[in-house]
Amino acid sequence: MRELLKLAARNLLRNRRRTLITLAALVLGVGAMVAVHGFISGLQGSLVENIAEGQLGAVQVHKKGFMANVLSSPLGLDMADSPALRQKMEAVPGVRGVTPRIQFGAMLSTPDRPVPEGREPTAAEQGKTSFFLVFGIDPPSDQKVFPRRLTWMAKGQPLTASDSDEVLLGVELADGLGVALFPHDAPRPPETERPALLAPDRDGSLNGANVEVVGTLKAGSPGDRRYGFVGLATAQKVLRMEGRVTEYAIAVNRLEDAGKVRDALAEVLGPEYEVHTWAQILPFLKELFGTQDFIFGIVAMIFLVVVLLGIVNAMLMSVLERVREIGTMLAVGMKRRQVITMFILEGLLLGVAGGLVGAAVGWVAVLVAARIGISLPAPGATAPSVIRPTVTFLYLARSVGLAAAGSALAALWPARRAAQLRPVEALQSA
Amino acid sequence: MERRFLVAAVVAALAPVLPAAAAEPTPEQILAKYDAVMGPRTFEAHSSMTAHREDGSERTYVMRLLKSENDKFRVWFDEPAAVKGQEMLRSGENMWVYLPNLKRATRVANRDSFQGGDFNNADVLRVNYSADYTGKLAPTDVPDTYLLDLKAKTTNTAYDSIKLWVKKADFQPVKGQYFGSSGQMIRSAEFSDYRELDKGYVRPAKVLMKNELVKARYSTMDLSELKLAVDAPPQRFTQADLGR
Repeated sequence: MRELLKLAARNLLRNRRRTLITLAALVLGVGAMVAVHGFISGLQGSLVENIAEGQLGAVQVHKKGFMANVLSSPLGLDMADSPALRQKMEAVPGVRGVTPRIQFGAMLSTPDRPVPEGREPTAAEQGKTSFFLVFGIDPPSDQKVFPRRLTWMAKGQPLTASDSDEVLLGVELADGLGVALFPHDAPRPPETERPALLAPDRDGSLNGANVEVVGTLKAGSPGDRRYGFVGLATAQKVLRMEGRVTEYAIAVNRLEDAGKVRDALAEVLGPEYEVHTWAQILPFLKELFGTQDFIFGIVAMIFLVVVLLGIVNAMLMSVLERVREIGTMLAVGMKRRQVITMFILEGLLLGVAGGLVGAAVGWVAVLVAARIGISLPAPGATAPSVIRPTVTFLYLARSVGLAAAGSALAALWPARRAAQLRPVEALQSA
Repeated sequence: MERRFLVAAVVAALAPVLPAAAAEPTPEQILAKYDAVMGPRTFEAHSSMTAHREDGSERTYVMRLLKSENDKFRVWFDEPAAVKGQEMLRSGENMWVYLPNLKRATRVANRDSFQGGDFNNADVLRVNYSADYTGKLAPTDVPDTYLLDLKAKTTNTAYDSIKLWVKKADFQPVKGQYFGSSGQMIRSAEFSDYRELDKGYVRPAKVLMKNELVKARYSTMDLSELKLAVDAPPQRFTQADLGR
């Protein structure tokens, strides 16, 4: 066997140009596969980070039953907010920050533009009303849990205080309403010239507050762009829910530990509450990633098959060139099985070498790209984020294994052709 | 073929002697009659709306309504305390809600929910189907009724299409089904308690509006009092009058 391996290696080194070309194809194929995989992982990672650090938090705490009823009347499933409760959650190992929120549906209604006395405003001059999903947030703790959202400001400034009359809107929503941004500290105009936030309160009765839009936000993930933010205390007043919230968003030190932190929080909080990770709140995301990985897997396979067909071709050439030599080997008593093994070993050696170098090249590309960072919006987002490709050692090992096994398999047919030669005819061929 | 020709000939021969009253009214005529029942030219009424939610909670709103010609409408809320002082105004295509704590009126749309219940603003403040929908007669499954298939003329209407069952005898509505833009039924209504609320004026005093999207939700609207001959001066239907 060792002799055969030596022979196989020597055979590969005999026609260096052909071996190099075959190797180059393998290196390119495996390298590209690793690099693209790393890029896709990076994209998925940036989307998850945007969601965890800009929208949901890594973990969320609700009143028991909230998630099951989230589409109907989530305001009814609220809970008392207290510093003691927040501290209890902050004390859980792995928790980086806790912020209270209320999620609710509301309308933003802009005033009519001023028109001369006695004339009705035209359709274009009339105020507009738009439905949107609003988050009542507590600015200081919110910024701790959602540091990324500050980087999504399109224009204007973030909210200053929980009881302010300031509102942030998604940039598409703000454009649709045609609202002008209002500077934080400017004196407020008369009531009739201000936008109003209208919402049914906890019992369904309409209530509202005069507000000013102080900033707009780009989107950090795909989905509905009709959303906005308002101070928690203002939201509580409109909803007539003083001192109450519908959820806590929780940031963790390491995103991979979200599951552990969830379990620890559930333990501390008891059965009145329910705790979910971002992946449980957005189960479609995991499915999306699964689909992406599947499609990429198919593309990578096709890529690899093309490369391997090149190997088949090169080795067939090699068999044809070495007909006399194979005849001699068979004539001096080499077994057909050994001839097959020799050619398969040649393929295997090619595959291992090409796979190793390719994986290394891909890995270095991923490391360099991760170091520099690719500035690009996450899938479906409008806010740019820095994508840092990643690849696991398991994936690198799998790529090398795949290349080696594939090349060995590709050598099978040429090997059989060689083994089926008849020594007498082979020796006579020119 | 011959038989059909024969029937046609007989019908044609008899047509001039059939009494004119037996002729089917056109969809437009039925719709106009429906509008006259549900939204007479002027009236003042007291009414209450109860919204039932899927968690079992309910809330009753007590209000006063005032309608004038040309699609002018006012609503004053008296109860519960959370909405006391709130008012609504409709003038033609424009609709506002006045919130006392904002001290101003805000525009609202036909399709917006009326006080978080299952009626929308147009259900309450705009009864002018002739203006908003075109009708076609369809085969009815309820005896002694016409079934009207209504299609919205514009996208600003409360619904995209409506199926409305109206009694043949007096054009009182029996039930309705209301559809959204996807063709999905979003609400269904049942009309009951037909009463002579004013001299010679009969209408259903109770409307049950069921939410077909969240089945456990429904709202009822009850008219307790209604006067047709009322003074409704135009200045009451202006933004300036809100909150006065």
